[in-house]
Amino acid sequence: MTYSSLIFIYGFLPLSLLIYHAAREKYRNAVLLGLSLIFCGFCGLKCLAFTVLDTAFNFLVGHIIDTHRVRKKSGTLPLLTGITANIAMLFVFRAADLAELREKIGLPEGVLPVGISLFTLSAVGYLIDIYSDRIRAESDPVRFGLYMLMFPRIIMGPVLRYDSFVKILSRRKCSLAETGTGMTIFVKGLAKKVLAADNLFMLYSAVRNVKSGELAAVNAWLGMIAYVLCLYFTVSGLTDMGIGLGRCFGMHFPRCFNYPLFVSKLRYFASRWHMQAVRWFRRYISSPLSAQSSVRWIKKLIFIATWGFFGFWYTFRAGGLIWGLLLGIGIVVERKFAKLKMLNATGIIVTFVFLTVSSVFLAGDNLSASIRYLGAMVGGNRMLADSLTVYLLRSYIIILLVSVYASTDLFRNMLLRSRKHKVNSVLSAATPAIVIVLLLVCTAFIAYGGASSLSPVTL
Amino acid sequence: MTRLIKKITAVAAIAVTGTLGLLTVTVPKKTYSENENRMLQGIPQLSWSALADGSYFSGLSSCFTDHFAFRHFFVSSDAKLASGMCERVVNGVYIGNTRLIDAKVSERGKSQLNAERIKRFAGNYSGAVYLAAVPTSSGVYSSMLPAYLSYNTEKQQIDRFYAEFDRSIRKIDAYSILKMQTDDYIFLRSDTKWTGYGAYCVYKTVIQKLGFLPSPYSKYTVRHVSDDYCGNLYNRTQYMKSNKDMLDIYEYSDGAEAESCTCYYNNGDSKSAQLYDLSALDSGDKYDIYTCGTCPFMRIRTSLNNDRKLLVITDDMGRNFVPFLIQHYSEIGVVCPKKMTGKLEEYVNADDYEQTLILIGADSLGDEDMLSPLEEEEE
Repeated sequence: MTYSSLIFIYGFLPLSLLIYHAAREKYRNAVLLGLSLIFCGFCGLKCLAFTVLDTAFNFLVGHIIDTHRVRKKSGTLPLLTGITANIAMLFVFRAADLAELREKIGLPEGVLPVGISLFTLSAVGYLIDIYSDRIRAESDPVRFGLYMLMFPRIIMGPVLRYDSFVKILSRRKCSLAETGTGMTIFVKGLAKKVLAADNLFMLYSAVRNVKSGELAAVNAWLGMIAYVLCLYFTVSGLTDMGIGLGRCFGMHFPRCFNYPLFVSKLRYFASRWHMQAVRWFRRYISSPLSAQSSVRWIKKLIFIATWGFFGFWYTFRAGGLIWGLLLGIGIVVERKFAKLKMLNATGIIVTFVFLTVSSVFLAGDNLSASIRYLGAMVGGNRMLADSLTVYLLRSYIIILLVSVYASTDLFRNMLLRSRKHKVNSVLSAATPAIVIVLLLVCTAFIAYGGASSLSPVTL
Repeated sequence: MTRLIKKITAVAAIAVTGTLGLLTVTVPKKTYSENENRMLQGIPQLSWSALADGSYFSGLSSCFTDHFAFRHFFVSSDAKLASGMCERVVNGVYIGNTRLIDAKVSERGKSQLNAERIKRFAGNYSGAVYLAAVPTSSGVYSSMLPAYLSYNTEKQQIDRFYAEFDRSIRKIDAYSILKMQTDDYIFLRSDTKWTGYGAYCVYKTVIQKLGFLPSPYSKYTVRHVSDDYCGNLYNRTQYMKSNKDMLDIYEYSDGAEAESCTCYYNNGDSKSAQLYDLSALDSGDKYDIYTCGTCPFMRIRTSLNNDRKLLVITDDMGRNFVPFLIQHYSEIGVVCPKKMTGKLEEYVNADDYEQTLILIGADSLGDEDMLSPLEEEEE
């Protein structure tokens, strides 16, 4: 079950809101966990069993590490065991080369336990935090189960530290107004996914269908720009939906994206893209390793490698690793030229071009395909444009322009500036109508297949 | 947003999602959708294996989707919105100015398996085998599709399929015949299938290959029995602005007649039928007026006494094609492998027929199950 499916929006969501709000305060955690297990169970009981066992395993390992707090060294083995087991499981499910192993275990083909990438990060972070004495092991299995499996955050996050999650959980405020805000954010995320990302994915697919040797340069650029925008709207749409759902249940999750695409420097992109996940990699990989060395070039190498891991986590392919490494290298190089005034004027274009070019590796099935695609982008096929260019531009120009505008903070800034004006009150008053119309339009788009399943990455 | 606005938003959103969800669950379920011309997914059967591998839940999700309240309204709105907003491809169908075209031609499976089955069938068969792979509207009107959707055209698929056979199987180039007639009404505008006239154009060549002179077009009386047929491409898009189609039946008043048509079903039952069933005009699928190919095996005995027998192995493309053959054979056996649950020999002995015509649509060439009944029972 995905957030952008009919059965979730019109079946699971209203029902779970009803059950949750009808339950007594003290049972709400258990109710939410039960609902989350049903949500995860839609992948099949086999996948659910894996998920539950993994949660129980991490709960147990957390306690073993906790009991060795005084003699820290003896806690190292359970920590390493826990981390290795979590990462091994992630590889088993996500690495394409391990398909045979998955078959032997008897896992259904193409089915992943929901949110495997996210809850692996959560689990590893939890174990490290106990080991480093930041938190104590959780004694309440229900609360820990919620941390790992809670359906509003299991698909795309946000990835939170355990103590932050517990704080959010304990400060829950359930009210009709909170649900209203939550539904507004949810529908915004749904629109990002269904209206923007899915249509952009069709543009990207249209370009990908052309043989790489026959691809005109403009088409190749159009396809990759569509891919970058699609990736942004997919991932940020899903996180928005998760944050909105959390809000419906009274929880205030931090946002994950802050208009990262059209920024004047790569490091701004890095600090605004998938913020909670990027922070996880920095917190648990880059920072501890960098602290071990005072040599600058080693620190830079660690920084670049961490971005490489982040990219690899997206795709579990070499292409994702290269995308991440390129981003890391780009940020390091950019710092060298940070004082160049020219960057202030051209930064937005340079950054977006860099992101577009590096995303060729993220998008490609393999390295040779990515290199061929790059060749087409620089005019290697000796074709600047063809009839397909006209067709694609004519068909997608509106969605491209609207998507570019929506991925900037121009609209938000306009709203902020107009706070004292009438237009703001009018827009505010129209919110319920806008939410319902958007919800129904998105429903129309997913009504035939029942769900919006197109995605540039599988997390 | 003020608190009041937030509360109104919450109430409105919950009311809309709750009401539509409730209507979906409580309104009595239909088993068949007339708008989409297909059986709808029912509530899946509960079993441990289905629960374990998740197929129960995906079935449940499909059931919810199929029975979603106001589904027809939402699906048809999708076509309107999508064609206005971006590319004119909705649910895998290209919305052209004059017709709908299947845009998923390039994604079809490989035809090698079916070619092998036909070769094995021909090897064990005592008579002559004729093969006609018929393009769908996507093949004949592929130039209307944007370039990226027509890179692996039906022409190429048919050529690759034909290249699998040697001269012992006589191939008929239906593609070129139809391609020359694109200005005529040879394909339905809202469907992948051909019209009666399209079938007649190919019949003229096929029947000559089979050793007869074709009946002249002027001898037929064409009856337009319906002018509001919505085909399988409409079913996928429910695009209201698409042109509705005419269904024709061809009658040859001075010629031979079908004296008896008998349908044989998978459970061993047989039933008398007619070549055209006009009562289907009142049903969900008006195309069922063409009865040939609606049952696994149909035996047609004509008023001719020339003792010539033809076996036709076909899919939907044969439904309005077979009636033209009545003028030449005393008996025609129509095999529809897609409808068969057993092997061909359980229904008919192919060697009783001196000629076999395999007439299948290009969209069936890559269908792995399509010709599986032709394979002999493993001992």
